[in-house]
Amino acid sequence: MISAGIDGGSRAIKAVLLDCRTRKVVAGGVRDQGVDHDGLARELLDQLLKKAGLARSRIARLVATGYTRNAIGFADTTVTEITCHAAGVRYRVPKAATIVEIGGQDSKLLRLNADGSVRDFAMNDRCAAGTGRFLEVVAARLNARLDGLGDLARAAKSPAPISSMCVVFAETEIIGLLASGASPADIVAGVQASIASRVASMIGREAKPPVVFTGGVAMIPGMADALAAALKTPVEIAPEPQMTGALGAALLACRQACGN
Amino acid sequence: MSGRAKRLTLDELDRLCRRRQAAGEAMPAYAGPLGRHVRDGDRRLLTLEYDDSPAALRLWNFLLTEEDRLHEARAAGKKIVGTMKDLGTVPVMAYALPNVVAFYPDGAWWTPCLMELSEGLFGIAQSLGLGDAFCPVRAMAGAFVNRAHFPIPDLATCSVGATCDDFSAIAQRLESLGYPITWWEMPSRRRPDPGEPGVTLPGGFTAPASQVALVRSELERLRAALARLAGSPLGDAELAAGIREANRVRALLAELRQLAYTADPCPMPALEMLIAEMLAIHFCSDREESAAVLAELLDEVHSRVSAGRGVLAERAARLFWVNPVADLRVMNLLEDCGARLAGTEYLFCHALDAIPEDLPPMEALARMALADPMVGPSADRAARVVRDARAMGAEAVVVSRIPGASHCALEGTVIGHIVRQELDLPVVELEVPPVADALWPTLRTRLEALVETVLERRKR
Repeated sequence: MISAGIDGGSRAIKAVLLDCRTRKVVAGGVRDQGVDHDGLARELLDQLLKKAGLARSRIARLVATGYTRNAIGFADTTVTEITCHAAGVRYRVPKAATIVEIGGQDSKLLRLNADGSVRDFAMNDRCAAGTGRFLEVVAARLNARLDGLGDLARAAKSPAPISSMCVVFAETEIIGLLASGASPADIVAGVQASIASRVASMIGREAKPPVVFTGGVAMIPGMADALAAALKTPVEIAPEPQMTGALGAALLACRQACGN
Repeated sequence: MSGRAKRLTLDELDRLCRRRQAAGEAMPAYAGPLGRHVRDGDRRLLTLEYDDSPAALRLWNFLLTEEDRLHEARAAGKKIVGTMKDLGTVPVMAYALPNVVAFYPDGAWWTPCLMELSEGLFGIAQSLGLGDAFCPVRAMAGAFVNRAHFPIPDLATCSVGATCDDFSAIAQRLESLGYPITWWEMPSRRRPDPGEPGVTLPGGFTAPASQVALVRSELERLRAALARLAGSPLGDAELAAGIREANRVRALLAELRQLAYTADPCPMPALEMLIAEMLAIHFCSDREESAAVLAELLDEVHSRVSAGRGVLAERAARLFWVNPVADLRVMNLLEDCGARLAGTEYLFCHALDAIPEDLPPMEALARMALADPMVGPSADRAARVVRDARAMGAEAVVVSRIPGASHCALEGTVIGHIVRQELDLPVVELEVPPVADALWPTLRTRLEALVETVLERRKR
């Protein structure tokens, strides 16, 4: 029996097929998000099925999660990304006590119980300053590739302080920094520190280790270090961090299909 | 008594209302289809869903005709008192006088929501220097200036001191525009020092006797001002009678809240309960009718509980809600997400407690005013939330922030920390602006995730 999880994020769609008996991932994939949320998700799912040599009828249950979860009409049900990320991280890193997830348009903090269930959570989705969108803006301003920002940050000698509380104003601040001779490397490192600091403020005094970092932004080199520095505790990156939500959705679908 | 219990759209509610009118069912003079208020600009009514009972329809009509009632009172020669930044003290005094009507100008903070920002109150406030950084109650300043809503009161009172910074600034700005305000000081409540005489306040907080005396002396000034306005003395006997009448409203609400927040299935929607609770602080400009409206609502809830009828599925996730929402539609949303209310702290839980009737009336009112959870440290407020959430069997707590409100900046962290520590419940903070449509997906995600968390905890 196969279960499926689809995470319709703001920037990308992720999907996972899971063998419910072995609880092993059969196939997983990512594609860019677009206008037709339902159609794009369906295409991604069909690609994965084809890759795995499976017929659609083998899917016993499909759970959709993420920002566009309610637009995925062929899902059996929806579950929020909070619950799905907790399930996905629990599967990958069973000892996790705190999860930080940073995606394209929001960031989340999840506190977990000892059994991996969600104790409670906080979200920042009012402001782009603590999200991947900030990095996109910076990459565009510096004419750099998003996936190259980490390498750039590694060359930083003195991370530039970014004081603006708003991405729009921060962009202006970056222009000023460039004009004053700050290096792109220092600027990127400063932006990473700024995002990490914003996320850390959500956590307050309760960053119980182990802290696991997930979501698309976790793939950018340097972000985990920035987060660890802001939280003053080691941060572990979840394996395949971009896929955690979809994996959690597939695990929950499997649980629902099996009746537990 | 209604034959069923469910939420209706405005169209459905209005059709039901017309059928009842056609059938000759008795209704108060102010009642009728709510759609007429949409024509007056209350567009938000189109997006809300309503309880289907006649009692709830009466409640809505009572709320939405308050401005008419105030204008009629003015035309009838009654004196009108605007009791600003006062959560349930001066109205009790004002209604002890026969020819005085008190209202709550701060209530204009919901006008931008109801009229979906079409009324321009925030624009006027902005022009007065009261921009987005201020609490939405800045709409009140706009309503004073454009005079399109409530009548300008004959006497405006406002508490100041340990009250909301935003509100003090807004009221001062108002006074600078030529609207005289009778200020009264509210000290920051503290626990008595060792050896210092203390007083236990209604609701359980304690305060130094000297603070109670200060508030009492401030209220004495207001008593004199009210008597001057009315042209008749406001004696202890009148005040005691006024306290008894206020307690009648509070007792109805206490029973209503107890049933609505504990019975399963939930017998009354969150939206109607929010409005009902608001009647406690200012009686919606008619104390006697407030009591009648609440009594009918309570009868409806009793009958639903007896019959096992509810507006929601059984075993909905039980949320304790802190702070009123600027956008009323969020009350519908929480139920759409599979939750129900199991207790509230809408900034004035002290106004739901009975005013002591065994004390001299001014002493009783002073103690009541000082029992306001908002005039002490946030930890006091958190303690009240913990106590009430435990009593109501809440499974999670939502702290709903009001954008710009100074008390919201830090209290969520304090309340969250203490609730987690004392009750081990999940706590989630939301921010709800007057029209929250743009935030709908994220508000929904938070509430759905909270419901999922609660349901998962039940399995454990």
